[in-house]
Amino acid sequence: MSRDDSSLVVDRLCDQTGGQNIAVSCFYLDFAARKEQCVTNVLGSLLKQMVGGMEKIPEEISRAFQQQTTTIGGRKPQLINIVQMIQLIASSRPTVICIDGLDECSGVQRARLLGSLQQILDKSPRTRIFVTGRPYIRAEVERRLAGHVESVPISSIRKDITEYLRIKLDEDDALDAMDGSLEAEILEKVPENVSDV
Amino acid sequence: MLAALLLRRQHPRFSLTIATFFPSQEYHQPRITHHSRRASDKEWKMPQYTVSVSTTFPNNGNISDVWNSDTITDDRSQLLAWLSPLNPGLRHWDIQKHRADGIGEWLLETEEIRRWYAGSESGEGESAVLFCYGDPGVGKTFIR
Repeated sequence: MSRDDSSLVVDRLCDQTGGQNIAVSCFYLDFAARKEQCVTNVLGSLLKQMVGGMEKIPEEISRAFQQQTTTIGGRKPQLINIVQMIQLIASSRPTVICIDGLDECSGVQRARLLGSLQQILDKSPRTRIFVTGRPYIRAEVERRLAGHVESVPISSIRKDITEYLRIKLDEDDALDAMDGSLEAEILEKVPENVSDV
Repeated sequence: MLAALLLRRQHPRFSLTIATFFPSQEYHQPRITHHSRRASDKEWKMPQYTVSVSTTFPNNGNISDVWNSDTITDDRSQLLAWLSPLNPGLRHWDIQKHRADGIGEWLLETEEIRRWYAGSESGEGESAVLFCYGDPGVGKTFIR
């Protein structure tokens, strides 16, 4: 994978971490899938992605998997096991966890999820966690992850400008003059300058 | 967006190669023995080679265990399925497909995000979590 493919941000992150492999995982919470998206499954999925990106599965995780196969029907990992396995990975390599739509799960699940993230940070403070959600959960996120959170508003003005430009570009009759990179540049630069006014 | 960019970087490149299973100090290159025959007056015989692979495998492993890469792949996918039954990667690629290049880049250049990832090296806990908030439909999902 060429370095040109990735953004400056990722390059910088990799440079800072000595070019080691970054364990990245993301999860999209969905109101309609609340039932299956329990905290154990959500964190299990994040762990699954981290392990899936590794060339070699950590010894402790292989062993835990082998041990449970000896019980009848196997035994699913419990939340505490999953948290421990994530802590293990996050302590040994740069780890980024992204969770989208934190307001989409129930209040109880959100409390458990934030509690687990706090445990991961306690053990592996270098873990970077990226979370999105509606404004009304901001206070809760900041309280439960006290001292760890930086909140950034996502402006809808910018989104509206981008949307407008996209429609206009789509209606443009001088198609030959437009290419993907120019269009991307217009869509990126114009809203940036407008919203600075 | 950030996740997508990071994932592009980290795209699984798991490949089953001999080298993966044999760390260099344990893996013995096939030894090639050259049995050349004395050329007769009339004709040249093609040199014959015998390839002998060292039997010193790590952990005295049975060679069939090592070469059966299907078994190893199965174990890996079973382990991954055991960790979680969910596959959010599918949702991620779907979102990525509908995202326009360049959109969301502004976020990657903000001071907040610089501070956020700068801490991954130092372990400073101040902004280990970046919380991006906005009303429904502003594009929070797509910046990821």
